Amino acid sequence: MRRSFGRLQVLDGVSARVETGGVLLVRGQNGSGKSTLLRCLAGLLRPQAGTIEHREEGRALDAEERRLAIGYVAPDLALYEDLTVQENLEFFARLRGLPRERAAEILERIALPPHRPTGALSSGMRQRLRWGWALLHRPAVLLLDEPFQNLDRDGEALARTLLAEHLRDGLAVVATPVPLDFADLAHAETLELRR
Amino acid sequence: MPRRSSFVAETAAVFLKDWRTELRTRYALNAVALFAVTTLVVVSLGLGPLGAVGGDRASILPVLLWLILLFAASAGLPRSFAHEEETHTATALRLAARPVAVFCGKLLYSLTLILAIEALVAPLFAAMLQLPVESPGRLVAALAVGGYGLAAASTLVAAIVAQARGKGALFAVLAFPVLIPVLLLAMAATRAAVGGGAEDGALLQALLYDASVTVGGLMLFPPIWNP
Repeated sequence: MRRSFGRLQVLDGVSARVETGGVLLVRGQNGSGKSTLLRCLAGLLRPQAGTIEHREEGRALDAEERRLAIGYVAPDLALYEDLTVQENLEFFARLRGLPRERAAEILERIALPPHRPTGALSSGMRQRLRWGWALLHRPAVLLLDEPFQNLDRDGEALARTLLAEHLRDGLAVVATPVPLDFADLAHAETLELRR
Repeated sequence: MPRRSSFVAETAAVFLKDWRTELRTRYALNAVALFAVTTLVVVSLGLGPLGAVGGDRASILPVLLWLILLFAASAGLPRSFAHEEETHTATALRLAARPVAVFCGKLLYSLTLILAIEALVAPLFAAMLQLPVESPGRLVAALAVGGYGLAAASTLVAAIVAQARGKGALFAVLAFPVLIPVLLLAMAATRAAVGGGAEDGALLQALLYDASVTVGGLMLFPPIWNP
């Protein structure tokens, strides 16, 4: 895959493959293209060369099916500040064709005050909400850009549990500038990006 | 296979979410109402029942009415997409909803906002400037059809400029040329409603404009939303 912004070549010749239950750990310095790679995988950016293929049951999914199969956690992803935590999750559950009970289930897992406006959440709480939002629709693919940022010890433990549960039936691509020593990621494939 | 919601459910969810946040912040409602009422007061004080007399009234007043509605709408409509980009909620919406549902939900929001403006402005306008209305039914039809055209074109242009810098100025530059046809047609239809004169198919042409802009929006919005 290749992707540039004007004359700045961010991704050049990046290639990888991940299977269900697997984790691809994307490592690199700041500015090496980790976030850009994840945004391309999420369908938010188009690569200028190369292909992204998501196969299920031997068939390549089209762009719309890929969108439905992706969960995404990233620092620049925000939910509606004027809605409460519960309202946000219920809105996105409705968009995804899910019952309200699913939003309630996720809300309980991420342990956030349901009636607090999202704009009043701390940065750590917002990160928990991003995790909840990403897992609301039980995605097959989890794209995690600095997923443990701002999380306290309990938040980090929760995120690791959610990731481990997800990996039973899905796969993940995790972008992080720092080494992770989680047991779940011990067998992860590593993709090193350079500036 | 991943589950998906119906198009109608997604559209309704986006529409209701926009109104829920708007009723909490009242940002667009306050801006639009303030702009509309202020402009209306200035026009009525400047022109008033003593200014436009006789047959001029039926020709001039519909033009002023639609100019007030146009500028009031411009104060509030561009924000629907710009706010999503500025607050970074657009990413979540792109991943969770199909583009056509986002467009239709936002269009419905813009349409109901414009209809609310018209419901506020038109009666006040008629009262303050003593606008003679020979055919109230035709007037309502002109407001509805013209209002839809404003909403549809503004929604599409708002989506285009949302990711650009200088959104306010860019919206005016892009939207006004696109809106001129429906404004002229709405003015003609309104003139026929107040003066009782021949409409010469203005309402039908405005309906055709509305249909064209809607179809154009449905086709153009997906690549604009996901470049």
